[in-house]
Amino acid sequence: MKEIVIVSGKGGTGKTSVTAALASLASQEGVVLCDADVDAPDLWLLIPPKEQEEIPFMGMDGAEVNEEVCIGCGKCRDFCRFDAVAMVDGKARIRQGKCEGCAGCTMVCPVQAISMVPRRQGSWFKAETEKGKLVYARLYPGGENSGMLVTTVKKAAEETAKREGHPFVLVDGPPGIACPAIAALTGASLAVAVTEPTESGIHDLLRLHQIATKLDVPTAVVLNKWDVTSLAPRVREVCLETGIPILGEIPFSKEIPEAVASAEVPLEPMTPAIQKIWSGITELTK
Amino acid sequence: MTVLAVASGKGGTGKSCIASSLALAAGQVVAVDADVEEPNLGKLLGMAPKEIYSVSLPMPVFDEKLCKRCGLCAKECRFNALVQFGDLLPRLNEGLCHGCGVCSMVCPHGAITEGSHVIGKVSRDQAGDLAFLEGRLDVGCPNPVPVIKSVIDTAKEEGDLIIVDSPPGTACSMVEATEQADYVLLVTEGTPFGMADLKLALEVVSDLKRPAGVVVNRSDLGGSDPEEICRSHDVPVLARIPFSRQVAQVYGLGESPYRGSSLWREQMDRLWNSVKKEAGL
Repeated sequence: MKEIVIVSGKGGTGKTSVTAALASLASQEGVVLCDADVDAPDLWLLIPPKEQEEIPFMGMDGAEVNEEVCIGCGKCRDFCRFDAVAMVDGKARIRQGKCEGCAGCTMVCPVQAISMVPRRQGSWFKAETEKGKLVYARLYPGGENSGMLVTTVKKAAEETAKREGHPFVLVDGPPGIACPAIAALTGASLAVAVTEPTESGIHDLLRLHQIATKLDVPTAVVLNKWDVTSLAPRVREVCLETGIPILGEIPFSKEIPEAVASAEVPLEPMTPAIQKIWSGITELTK
Repeated sequence: MTVLAVASGKGGTGKSCIASSLALAAGQVVAVDADVEEPNLGKLLGMAPKEIYSVSLPMPVFDEKLCKRCGLCAKECRFNALVQFGDLLPRLNEGLCHGCGVCSMVCPHGAITEGSHVIGKVSRDQAGDLAFLEGRLDVGCPNPVPVIKSVIDTAKEEGDLIIVDSPPGTACSMVEATEQADYVLLVTEGTPFGMADLKLALEVVSDLKRPAGVVVNRSDLGGSDPEEICRSHDVPVLARIPFSRQVAQVYGLGESPYRGSSLWREQMDRLWNSVKKEAGL
């Protein structure tokens, strides 16, 4: 089973549109889809679930104060390095969005007024779609433990593919290079970096490539909207210098956002580039 | 002091492009790149920032002689950042360590001290009245939040008006960059993706009780408009900016379109006036 993760470093380069188009091609051979952009998930808009099962996502336990026991000494606040404890009316109060769950406060409390309790941080879904199974998630807005949620949906997608004998898992990744991106790339067969022809796009691609390399995941590029600026030759040059293969180039076309606007997979406006990209992917992951 | 955050749920909607333009329109301002995973604001502003300090997390260092290999530190670490086997010293996985200090507190033998582990840096540059600060996460470090906090704290010591270019999403890093803002400008685009992510971003902003406004970039591509979503959150749509190939080209070259496109400049001057009015500046 091969796991292909669509990433970009920079946001808004077209990861989700490209993933959806690739999903249409991959579904002919058998694929499990996974949306690992858990705090801004959009793949379901193009590949809607016909039915789905919702599973609560419990992040790490967080601290909770029993105000009746709390003596207001402030030791928990002094210990906490995340600014997660405030003293309000002589009692400790946990700022949930700040608590990272280390449990240090429970240990320094002289009267055992603090305990660690499970916190729900969102949901994840096992869905049936026209293109195959889709595993995706929705972190609560402002929720914690996004990396953990990425790992959860990815594992579920991998297990489903293995169980049902599908050759591919296709992951729509998050932007950036921190914990969610690291979680999405870990263990992947190939990182497909969707890049736009801008200085920012190039800068972000190179940082992403470093992360992928550290994680032992080979990178290949899809140059999206290649003709929207005059910078495409720069991208090609940088890829050549860095040894990153370019799988294909998709031209800028208003038909792509138009397809997205009607909740359609933009397969046609990406033809024939997307077919070439898919055969490059299957070649590289052989 | 006023802090304005330029944020979005969806990435690539034009945050940095708009943040750079508002900074140039404002003139005397501290512009902050808090998108520490992929910082691009400096380039758009024509800045060449130099490191002023590094950001680090305290991480455990073990004393070979004092450590009795009891394994308590590893047992109490909730992030699974420590493992301890047999006669070996505990081993730290730096990527998982949050620097919480629990291990050194629980060690019964005083065998753990804390060293600082660099995870990123803050850099600075200035051009006339425009000061620029950039946070940059080191590649391979998973936790951007301390770098975001650090660069914003530094900016607050520097000026009266601060414009923060925030990271995308609706998770911890976006919260860190927006929670202390006096006003949040959410940038979206006219696609269903833009709308879905704007809804989530508006939920964060209303949980944080921050006043906000919305700007729709490339408003003519994608057939969607946030009027209704915004009304339900009682947040105004301050501007709708159609796609322009010329703006895309200037941005592509790494220059703020505020300098390279007179059309964009007019749109941004108008947006800046609305933001000032809304934010009570």
